[in-house]
Amino acid sequence: MKKIKEFALKQEQLFTTIIAVILAFAVVALLLAITGRHPGQAFYYLIKGSFGDTYNFSNTMSRVIPLAIAGTAFLLGAKASVFNVGIEGQLLLGALASAIVGYIVQLPKAIHLPLMLLAGCAAGGLYALIPAWLKTYRKVNEILSTIMLNYPAFHFTHYMVTKVLPIEGVVPATPFIEETARFRMIIPDTRLHGGFYVMILVAVLAYLLLQKTSIGYEMRAVGMNKEAARFHGIPVEKRMVLAFFLSGAIAGLAGAVEVAGLHYRFLDQFSPGYGYDSITVAMVGLLNPFGVIISGMMFGALKTGILDMAVYTEIPRQLVTLINGIVVLFIAGKSIIGKGYQKLVEDKEIESEKHVPAKDTKKEVSK
Amino acid sequence: MNLGEIIQSVFTLTLLYSTIRISISILFAGMGEMITERSGVLNIGVEGVMLLGAWAAAIASYFANNAWIGLLAAAGIGVVIGLVYAFIVVTHRAVQAITGLAIFLLSSGLTGFLLQIIFEHGGNSPRVPTLPMIHLGFLENVPVLGQIFNDQSVLMYPALLLPLILYFVFYYTPWGTWLRAAGENPKALAVVGVNPITVRYFAIVAGCLLAGVGGAYLSISQTSLFSENMVAGRGFIALSAVIFGNVKPRGVFMACMFFAFMDALQITLQAVVPAGVLPRELFMSLPYVLTLLILAGFIKRSGGPADIGNPYEKESR
Repeated sequence: MKKIKEFALKQEQLFTTIIAVILAFAVVALLLAITGRHPGQAFYYLIKGSFGDTYNFSNTMSRVIPLAIAGTAFLLGAKASVFNVGIEGQLLLGALASAIVGYIVQLPKAIHLPLMLLAGCAAGGLYALIPAWLKTYRKVNEILSTIMLNYPAFHFTHYMVTKVLPIEGVVPATPFIEETARFRMIIPDTRLHGGFYVMILVAVLAYLLLQKTSIGYEMRAVGMNKEAARFHGIPVEKRMVLAFFLSGAIAGLAGAVEVAGLHYRFLDQFSPGYGYDSITVAMVGLLNPFGVIISGMMFGALKTGILDMAVYTEIPRQLVTLINGIVVLFIAGKSIIGKGYQKLVEDKEIESEKHVPAKDTKKEVSK
Repeated sequence: MNLGEIIQSVFTLTLLYSTIRISISILFAGMGEMITERSGVLNIGVEGVMLLGAWAAAIASYFANNAWIGLLAAAGIGVVIGLVYAFIVVTHRAVQAITGLAIFLLSSGLTGFLLQIIFEHGGNSPRVPTLPMIHLGFLENVPVLGQIFNDQSVLMYPALLLPLILYFVFYYTPWGTWLRAAGENPKALAVVGVNPITVRYFAIVAGCLLAGVGGAYLSISQTSLFSENMVAGRGFIALSAVIFGNVKPRGVFMACMFFAFMDALQITLQAVVPAGVLPRELFMSLPYVLTLLILAGFIKRSGGPADIGNPYEKESR
C-alpha cells in the first residue's frame, strides 16, 4: 500500500511537471503567434535541427553533457536546500583551472585527463565554499551571494585570459591543452565526446550518494526540515557546506569537461549561460540525477535546434532563454521543488497529505 | 601618477554627484523591496522586474516619442509582474525563492527576445527620448549642494523623498501597521479583520512598481537606450541593501546610499588608476565583493519581519 502511494505521489510530480512544460511551450507558441511568427514552423525547425540527422543529433548530445552535469550540480545543492545559483561562476573557474592544468604539464593520458578534471572540480568546489560559509555561519541568503559571486568569477577569468596567460591566436583564450588532456570523440567527425561517459558517471554517483549512503540521506534530511534533522543529531551546517562543495565541484567539472571535450582550451565567455540553464534543467528533471539527463536532452535539443531555426525562420535565438524562463516560472508555480523533497521524507503519508490537496486550494481561490 | 594625486582626483564633488546619480535606481528598487519584505514576502526577482521596467520604458518612450509614457509603461509592467508574482507565491504559496529566480531568468530572455523581434537586431535599442534633467537656478549659487544635486534626473526628487514618505507611512498610518503586522504575525492581523493576503498583494505590487521605475531610470534617464542585461546586478545590490538596512526606511536608505557611493568610487577609480597598476576587472568586481563582505560582517538579524518567506495559510474551515 505504502509503495503504491509512493509511486502515485511520484507519478503526480512527473505529471505536473510535464503539464508545466507543455503549458510553458503553449505560452511560447502564443507569444510567437502574437509577434507574427509561425509557431508550427518554429517547432518544426527546432526538432529537425536537433534530432534531424546524425550530425544534429550528436550536436544535441554534446550540449546535453554540460547541461546535465551542471543540472546535477544544482540538484546536489537543492536536495540539501542549498540553492546554488552560482554554477555559472563555478563552471567558469573550473574550466579555467582545468585548461591551465591541461596545457601547463606533460603527463601520460591516464593521469593527465583525470588530473585536469579534478582541477576543475577543485576550483569550482572551493569557490562554492565562500557562499557556503556565508550561508551557514553568517546567515547570508545563498541565492543573493551566489549570483553576486558570478560577476567576480566572470571578470577574473576574463582578466586571466586577456592579460595574464599567454594567448594563442586572435581570440582571447588560453593556449591549447595537450593531447593527453583531451577526450576522444565517440562518433568521429562530430562533437559528441567522451565527456558523455563522465555525465553518466556523475548521474550514477549522485544517485548512489543521495539514495544509498547515510551522508546522502542526511543531506536530504537537511533539505526537508532543518530543525527535525538537527533534532535527530545530523550536523546540519556540515551537510549544507558539503552540499555546497559538491555542487560547486560538479559545476567546475562541467566546465572542465567542456574544455577537455569541445574547445581544448579556455575560451573567454565560452558558456552560453549553462550555469543558469542548469537550474531549469534540474527542476524539470525533478531533481533526479537521471531525470536531469532527460531534461538536459530537451534543453540541449533546444539549444541546437535554435541554430537551424534562426537560419530558416525570422525567429531570434533569444527564444531559448525565453523558453527557459517561462518553463521555470511554470515549474515554480507548481511548487515542484517543495514536492520533490516530500517523497524523500520518512513519514510520507503525513507529508503527502499536506501537498496533494494543492489542487483544492486552487479551486478555492478561483471562486 | 602618485598616490596623493590619485586620491585628489578621486575624492571630488563629482564623486558625490555620481553617487546620487547611481543611487536613484537602487533607491527605487530597494524601497520597493523593503515594502514587499515588510509584508513577509521575499522577492529575489527584483533584478528581473527592473530589467523589464527598463525595457518597457525604452520601448514605450521610443514609440510614443515621450519619456513620460515610458515611465508609465515601466510602472505598468511592474504592476503586472507584481500581480503574477503575488498570484504564484501568495495565492498558490509557491516557494518564493524559486519563483523570484524564475522572474529573474524570464526577464533576461523576454527582453532579449522582444528587443530582437521589434528592432530586428539584438544588443541595444535605438536611442530613445529621455526624462528631463532638472537645473534649479537658486541651487547654482549654493556651493557644494549645487554641484551635487543640480542637473540630476527629475526622478531624483521622488527617489530621495521616498524613504521619508515610507518612514511616515510605516510608523504613522494604519497601512503601515497592517503592513508590518502582515510580516510579523499575519494570523493576528486576520483576527482584527484585515486580510493578510490583500496586504501582501499590495506590498508586492507596490514593490514591483517601484522596481520597474528604478529600471526605467536606467534606460530613459541615466542613459538613453535599453541594452541587454543593463541592470547588471543592481537589483541584487538593492536586495542586499534591504537586508543590510534591516528592512527599515532609514537603514535601507543609508545602505542604498552606501552601495551607490561604492559603485561611484569604483567607476572613478577605474578611470583614474592606470590599467597597468590595478586591473579594471578588479574594480568591476568590487561592488559585489564589498556587498558580500558587508553582509557577512555587519548583518543583524533582529530587524527583519518574523514571518518572512512563509506563505500565509488560512485556518481550515
